[in-house]
Amino acid sequence: MSQALDDRTESIRMIRDSAGAVAPRGGDTKRVRALRFQSPGFDRAVFAEMGALGWIGLAVGEDAGGAGLGMSEAVALAEEIGAGLAPEPLIPAMLSARLLAASEDKALLGPLLEGGKVVLTAWQEKADTLAVPGTPDAPRVFVPMAAGADAFLLPVREGNRIALHVLEAAGADLALEKTMDGGNLGTLRADLGRATRVADDIGAVIEQALDEAALVTAGHMLGLAEKAFELTLAYLRTRQQFGRIIGTFQALQHRAADLKIHIALIRAAVESAAATLDAGATGAVRHAAVSKAKHRAIESGMLVLRQCIQLHGGIGYTDEYDVGLYLRRGMVIMNQYGSANLHRRRFMALAPEDVE
Amino acid sequence: MAVSIAPKETTDLNAMEDEAFRLHVRSWIEANYPAELRNPPKRLHWEENKPWYFMLAEKGWLCPGWPRQFGGLGLSPAKQIIFTEEIERHGCARTNDHGIVMVGPLLINHGTDEQQEYFLPKILNGEHIWCQGYSEPNAGSDLAALRTEAVLDGDHYVVNGQKIWTTLAMDANWCFLLVRTDKNAKKQEGISFLLVDMATPGITVKPIINLEYHDEFCEVFFDNVRVPAKNLVGTPNRGWDMAKALLSFERIYLGSPRLSAYAFTRLRQLAERMGAWEDPAFQETYGRLRLDLEDLKSLYGAFVDKLRRGETLGPDVSMLKVFQTELFQRITDTMLDIAGENAGLLEPMEGNRNLNPTGLYIQARPATIYGGSNEIQRNILSKNVLGLPG
Repeated sequence: MSQALDDRTESIRMIRDSAGAVAPRGGDTKRVRALRFQSPGFDRAVFAEMGALGWIGLAVGEDAGGAGLGMSEAVALAEEIGAGLAPEPLIPAMLSARLLAASEDKALLGPLLEGGKVVLTAWQEKADTLAVPGTPDAPRVFVPMAAGADAFLLPVREGNRIALHVLEAAGADLALEKTMDGGNLGTLRADLGRATRVADDIGAVIEQALDEAALVTAGHMLGLAEKAFELTLAYLRTRQQFGRIIGTFQALQHRAADLKIHIALIRAAVESAAATLDAGATGAVRHAAVSKAKHRAIESGMLVLRQCIQLHGGIGYTDEYDVGLYLRRGMVIMNQYGSANLHRRRFMALAPEDVE
Repeated sequence: MAVSIAPKETTDLNAMEDEAFRLHVRSWIEANYPAELRNPPKRLHWEENKPWYFMLAEKGWLCPGWPRQFGGLGLSPAKQIIFTEEIERHGCARTNDHGIVMVGPLLINHGTDEQQEYFLPKILNGEHIWCQGYSEPNAGSDLAALRTEAVLDGDHYVVNGQKIWTTLAMDANWCFLLVRTDKNAKKQEGISFLLVDMATPGITVKPIINLEYHDEFCEVFFDNVRVPAKNLVGTPNRGWDMAKALLSFERIYLGSPRLSAYAFTRLRQLAERMGAWEDPAFQETYGRLRLDLEDLKSLYGAFVDKLRRGETLGPDVSMLKVFQTELFQRITDTMLDIAGENAGLLEPMEGNRNLNPTGLYIQARPATIYGGSNEIQRNILSKNVLGLPG
């Protein structure tokens, strides 16, 4: 048991270290800023590097060409990616990899896992949902970083089953909207006439993959909050007003202490949920653990990001200063894979007695 | 009083009944205000808002608070409040109004006859657009620590230093500037007011892009800028008291419920669009915000009544600024909570300016920072209202 625990700790440490290749701790934001509002909003070479590092297939089994790791590693990675503000659509790609790994036709899986092809899943038919109706002709909305997709995966309902189709991005009817952080969201017409059917039923897999994506997004939010708070503490330690370092004012010290509590809550919720999933939780137990973590990440994460702006004063409201980049990214990811309201409702509906 | 500028409005509006006056103002605004400028999503630049400025100037309504002999409307405090309420109710854009609300009152109270004669008509006709040179990189909350200095050299002051957060400085051709004229005095006692032509050599304006991706604020650099000594307002080294008196306007202005009220109407529209309106949990939140807004209006009304009675406002007006700005933020926080993935959009949803949760959310962020941060307002309340030690 203790050996297994040590192995886990070691694999999480390794994945954190490897994240430095793309999102170095203490690195600057030049790369991130240069990509904003450029098409596709991220760097395909970095996406390929993420593939080469095994991140896209992190939670895909080794038999299917993945790394066979779990949620504990995935949330640690997402935290580093969040702290480094990498705009590459890693979480959506991980979701797609889960679906392709469960498909009969795996032709696209290899290129996706290597990061050579950007494959995004166009599953959503309305805002703020985790449901996959698979309505054949419904437009698919809010596809993150859709401007850079090579192919889209379309879940399509067939009776009790959810089949999966691949739609090439070239020639697809795609409308793009810009996001606050310089990325984009796509609305895609589900043109099944041009699509290829690759799986008979990914219904159960996509339900689990969306839970995982929600949890990993909570990890991403944790990284944003941690890094923005780190910048804020540095500011409190150096900024002077009234002839004093502002971090000596007790009102601000108390606020910083409160924010630290919130960050600790996010970490505890996210890491415990990851452990729950890694222990094989299914159904209501898995849903509840994920909802608990995502809810906390949004509520506390956005509070921390807002307060980090406030504690910086005017400089925090400028585009030039980095702390605002974290708030903007927070706005973009907060409600992806379910808002706090959705997750609070889902948690309470399950009312799990045994989720402690 | 030597200076006399004929007012354009010849009717004595103060003689009207309040309700009649309100309708008079309202119908004129509705008939004349450019529809495309209603509730602008961002602070407008001079090129965009000047039609409205000139419309008010032409009507003679540009400066409702100035005495009539200076070309203002000379409205009573009660009538000024009605006037402002109608402007806000219609969603009229804020103009480049520093000349109207700051420089005018400053010169009317402290300016020489020559300064009044030269500057006031040029505010009234839109020839001079003013910006406010107060904050500095190391003098924000601690404004009295400002270090931009003005040294007398013959009949000119030579100004060196830097200002920051100067609203719409790129639009302005004049700046009213707080400068240090005595480095040896206590920090509040060595500050003077200077009026500076922005075309003077040595001035550089650099826009700051903010989180709205908008260039509302600027940095302004002064490098050996020569300013005629006659452009000093009032007594040398007494500028701080004048500046503080002008800021009391800002605190009641920032405490006005208009931003929260506007965001609140948009919250309902968003809730209806997102299907959250029928949700009992949302209704709880909405009800709480609504009652906060109603009570803010009541509190604001109590302060306005004081003004109406001709009283001056004390430091307790800081309560309004704190509560209003934080309510504005809570309303826009709730917008993001119900907006789903639209919480990340750069532009209004569906091209509809009324469905702009992210724009309002971002706009609400600096409200607790500018005009004296809420931390400073709480200091004022705890020290000057509650009399707590320290």
